[in-house]
Amino acid sequence: MGRVGLALILHELVERTRDRWVLVISVLFALLAAGVSLYGRSAEADSAMLTGPSLVTLAGLLVPLVALVLGHDAICGERERNTLGLLLSLPVGKLEVVLAKFLGRLLALVLAVGMGLGVAIVLAGEGQGAVLAKLLVPALLLGAAFLSVGVLISAGSERQATATSLVVAIWFLMVFFYDMGLLGLLVATDGQISQETIGWMTFVNPAGLFRVDMMSRFSGPEVLESLGMVVAVPGAGVRAALWTGWIAVPLALSGLLLVRARGTR
Amino acid sequence: MKQVALRSVVVEFGKVRALAGVDVDARSGEVVLFAGPNGAGKSTLIRVMLGLVRPQAGHLEVDGVAHRVDNAFKRTLGYLPEAVAFAENLTGRQVLRFFARARGVSNARVDAVLERVDLSGAAKRAVRGYSRGMRQRLGLGLSILAEPELLILDEPTGGLDQAGLVVLWSILTEWREAGRMVVVSSHDLTLLERRVDRLCLLREGRVVAFDSPEKLRELAALPLRVTFGLATDRAQAADFAAAVDLALPGARRGEYNGALTVEVAPGGLLPLMDVRGSHADAVLTMRVEEPGLDQIYEHLLKAVR
Repeated sequence: MGRVGLALILHELVERTRDRWVLVISVLFALLAAGVSLYGRSAEADSAMLTGPSLVTLAGLLVPLVALVLGHDAICGERERNTLGLLLSLPVGKLEVVLAKFLGRLLALVLAVGMGLGVAIVLAGEGQGAVLAKLLVPALLLGAAFLSVGVLISAGSERQATATSLVVAIWFLMVFFYDMGLLGLLVATDGQISQETIGWMTFVNPAGLFRVDMMSRFSGPEVLESLGMVVAVPGAGVRAALWTGWIAVPLALSGLLLVRARGTR
Repeated sequence: MKQVALRSVVVEFGKVRALAGVDVDARSGEVVLFAGPNGAGKSTLIRVMLGLVRPQAGHLEVDGVAHRVDNAFKRTLGYLPEAVAFAENLTGRQVLRFFARARGVSNARVDAVLERVDLSGAAKRAVRGYSRGMRQRLGLGLSILAEPELLILDEPTGGLDQAGLVVLWSILTEWREAGRMVVVSSHDLTLLERRVDRLCLLREGRVVAFDSPEKLRELAALPLRVTFGLATDRAQAADFAAAVDLALPGARRGEYNGALTVEVAPGGLLPLMDVRGSHADAVLTMRVEEPGLDQIYEHLLKAVR
């Protein structure tokens, strides 16, 4: 990463921390996480057993949203403001611009997720906090994957309004309705698609992978069986490959879109 | 760097030919103006120079040698885009500091540039509170931040008030005197007329004319406009008008409010001076106006239709 790339990372971080939508969703996440943590602490049962899955659900919904909001205007925002040309007139390559924008926004995401989960961990108390801290890295991987998708949508969109609509649609499809969609598919095909295939279709979605993986860690594999999952959570190698793919492929495609564009405004 | 040139550049966007084999160059110590109607290819030409558009044919030359628009070349550039915009939630100083970090420029230089473009007082304000002229001045500051050898300004006069124009003129002068190059794309020919060394007139992706304003004036051979302030004695004024008609039939354009206007080819100026000499009592003042760059532009564009 050259001088321009490093400057761009810092610039993106500063700019994102002043983005009111990112702030609103981050604060909302922090408040809800704090609420869940406090509720779990007050419960008589093992608070980590109660708080962990609740935080998984909360993070599974909100982290992708924060990430998509962070990424959606990375390229098309510059394009629409007519500043992409100014940025690319600096001694920097297009791929480096995409990577620097991703990394700068990833740092902002680390702050947002760190703040939300950090509050929950602190409020959960000493013993349970350490258990909940297991959520941090997977939540950041989840965020990085959706941030990468957001950047891809941004690189492929001419206008910010288009990118906004697309990220909202992607969030609903991949996070909100995905499981219901799979269930619908199972019913509609009358069992022609095996439950094993459905299980794998859950894992190839980063939101599904995060949720199932974390549920399994907090509540044990038997919880997955009770939910009808006939496929075990993939091993560390497969999980690493899936996360790497979800982060690297959209990012590479974003770079490719920018490089292949014949003209830049 | 003594010369930057684009040679035989062809750019097509789908079926639209934006540039059709264009040859242009800028030399050290000069300000070159790209002018032409909308869609003539001015901005595309600038974007090719910046590496933002890949041409189907043609290449960049630096000092006569083919060169890629790589990072080494980009380090020599400063760029002000048309209708420049910035991140609205950052302050003017933060915007410049980002570009300073990216170009390896000191914070002291940032402050000096803010002073230069008269934005020191607004440096801590968010850009969203800036007027159009202030944004343009910030853009100008950004373009000169790294003291580039080649300064590329796309519509730099847009939104600038008189004070802003003074800043722009001083930058053009400084760059010219320092032996650097400036390429300007603008519709404001009247404003820029006395501040450019060469004018490149583009139309439909082709160069119509490319020379100094003086040479283009000769090429266009447009008439000079001569205005005589006449004496209050009506008889004397009428005698003078009759003498003008006799010496240069059809040259008289009108008489209004004690002034007589005549249009003559440059070669017709001497006979007119003779008439004036023989009617010294009738003429109080005389003003000769050369055709403006905007008139030359109109004429040359019509001539190639």
